[in-house]
Amino acid sequence: MSASNCLRCLGRPSVAGASRGVVVPVFAPRTAAPFSTTAVQNALPAKPKSAEHQDRSVRVYRAGRKMTIKKKNTQDRGKPPLPGERKAFRKKIVLSNDNAFPVPWVTEMEASSLSNENKVGSIVSLPPALQDQLRATEAFQPTQTWGLFRKPSTLIRKETVELTGKMEKAVENKQTARIVLAGEKISGKSTMLLQAQSHAYLNNWIVIHFPDAQELTNGSTEYAPIPNTENPTLYMQQNYCLKLLQSIKKANEKILAKLLSVSNHNELPQNITVNQPLLSLINAAKEAEGAWSVFQALWSELNAQGVNRPPILLSMDNLPHIMKMSEYRSASFDKIHSHDLSLVRLFTEALAGNTRFPSGGAVIAATNRNNGPRIPSMELALKQRLAEQIKVVEGEEAPEPPVRDPYFKGYDDRVEKVLKTVEVMEVNKIGKREARSLMEYWAASGLLRTTVDEQVVSEKWTLGGCGVLGEMERAALLTMKI
Amino acid sequence: MPPRLNLASAFRALSLRTTTPASQQPLLSQKIAAAVPKLVTVPVARRFYSDNLTPENNNNNNDDQAPSSELAPPRSEEEVVSLSQQQHKEDNLYALNRLELVAYGLKPFDAEEEGHKYGLPSLPLPSELHKDHRYDDVMGQITRLLMKDGKLSKAQRDMAMILNHLRTSPPPKLNPARPLIPGAPAPNFLPLDPVTYLRVAIDSVAPLVKIRGFRGLAGGGRNLEVPAPLAARQRRRTAFVWILDAVQKRKSKGSGRKMFPTRVAEEIIAVVEGRSGVWDKRAQVHKLGTATRANLMNNQIKNFL
Repeated sequence: MSASNCLRCLGRPSVAGASRGVVVPVFAPRTAAPFSTTAVQNALPAKPKSAEHQDRSVRVYRAGRKMTIKKKNTQDRGKPPLPGERKAFRKKIVLSNDNAFPVPWVTEMEASSLSNENKVGSIVSLPPALQDQLRATEAFQPTQTWGLFRKPSTLIRKETVELTGKMEKAVENKQTARIVLAGEKISGKSTMLLQAQSHAYLNNWIVIHFPDAQELTNGSTEYAPIPNTENPTLYMQQNYCLKLLQSIKKANEKILAKLLSVSNHNELPQNITVNQPLLSLINAAKEAEGAWSVFQALWSELNAQGVNRPPILLSMDNLPHIMKMSEYRSASFDKIHSHDLSLVRLFTEALAGNTRFPSGGAVIAATNRNNGPRIPSMELALKQRLAEQIKVVEGEEAPEPPVRDPYFKGYDDRVEKVLKTVEVMEVNKIGKREARSLMEYWAASGLLRTTVDEQVVSEKWTLGGCGVLGEMERAALLTMKI
Repeated sequence: MPPRLNLASAFRALSLRTTTPASQQPLLSQKIAAAVPKLVTVPVARRFYSDNLTPENNNNNNDDQAPSSELAPPRSEEEVVSLSQQQHKEDNLYALNRLELVAYGLKPFDAEEEGHKYGLPSLPLPSELHKDHRYDDVMGQITRLLMKDGKLSKAQRDMAMILNHLRTSPPPKLNPARPLIPGAPAPNFLPLDPVTYLRVAIDSVAPLVKIRGFRGLAGGGRNLEVPAPLAARQRRRTAFVWILDAVQKRKSKGSGRKMFPTRVAEEIIAVVEGRSGVWDKRAQVHKLGTATRANLMNNQIKNFL
């Protein structure tokens, strides 16, 4: 019989389990502290999984053969949807409703419509060619209410005219307007972006639009380091690049067919020489493999100095997603900053004002509030820009722009540097006059079944957060009370 | 509904009261007493309104009798008097103005004229202005049938999407073998009025009866089946529960928040077009009801009913 006390240390032995008659297996898992066995021995034996939690198809292993018990009560619902079909349903965009009445006073959008101050508060419809272009760049979103009306139409707001005015002014001076659209949830930032694109297409600009910034950074497309880049290493996203090139081609086909290349591009999958249309340059990207180099070539062609090139609109929705660390990892498993992804860098360089477009143009980005990450640096920078933009009355002191919180660590210098000199435009609430014009359009389409008078306008305007356009739509169009 | 304006309130305001009015009370706070010039004479036979709590200040011209107190306000007495005179003048002008309007045949004391930007709603109020009846009765009922886990707001959003799906889908092609409820509008009008569309679909497949089983009355422990009529609300409930059962069996084609409402709306279109299996269920119940109506004559049943 062994001594009841440990002879070496005179401590009490921890063999409580042994006295209970629990057999400790030889390969029992060790606790964090190797010198104590208490926890392991006192632990209750692991419960066998209950039948509910087990897999329906249980594999029972026996010597030499395998048996599979089929699960019961499976309802056969035919063949499941094909891959991509479910997403296609979610992303489906319908632009017309044959049941809605055509509205007689709605005119078609022209090149000068969106910059005409006299047209503020009127509704214009998008011409079919423009619809195709906007579809190609994914400017329409499934959550918007295009599908309820006869023709896709849009309200010209005060902010629309202001935005297009800035675009036009920039082109006159051969400069780049760099604008960030900020504002409340569903206040119309994405629609404002769509209007900027419409204005650009109708005035023969080249439009490159990133429909959703999060596709670039949430780790859903393939990426690879670009060779010969160090400090920092840049990464290319070839699949996304190919998709982007195809949308650029589809949307800007007419203009690209007329523009000719000014230099040789031997490195591309297909050799492009001088004086070839840029359309054939884009066509060189047949597979994802050479897409990044084709995109680079296209970008350098579009920005070739000393040649007559059309103005460029570079736009992006859901900006906050590219102002953070991306979901991608480097070879040493560090997180890659979004600005080290080459496509994102191209955009941020343009937004920061480091890229010069030959005939001027605009870089417009829209923030998002619903699904966007909170980026303290971006929020701070936008607030600072807004404070700087306030026009000071003579004799009064300018308000102090907000500064960094000294006790907060989460700021990002690179983000603030990009947003150092941008212009911030707030897309906020619409006035009652605009609301009335919009509601008359709804009523004339047969979707709002009341007489539009001052009281009804005031009611919906108030229900919609005092003129938040999306909320007004929810109150009047997405309701059980029709 | 009782009239809003009854005469009782007017009489209450006019009633005589035995206590002295506010202007005569001796225990007014010092401050008020100081601010208000004291009354000299009060006519004995005067009537006071019971809710007249403001002290009167119709005495203007006796400066010598105004009280002097330690707590007197900084205003001089002349100032107070002139202020009260001015107030008096304004009140008079207002009253004269109103009287003038009455003389012209207008109604200046009408509540609708005054203080309301958009006027008052006409009475009796339509039911949709009552918070409990703000939606159509069918809509209110079936939205709650759509609800899961008590999430009414989500159910309402789903219902709104169903209505939007109905008004964007092409007019239904009716099946003559499955006639809709009499009085239903022409099919090309249905998408413009999705609430009616839904109502027509539900009312058309709603069964008239249900089958009640009386245990053991058929002999040998068997149930005796007897048809029982349903009220309108019960009929709609049964119909919509059938529709939801059919929706459950429909295959989901996509993902996202629009999927469920789309499936419900497609089933409703199928009902109106006569393609839905819900029609068969209804026919079956009616057939059984016809077959079992003889059981109503059972003596034991008669005691129950």
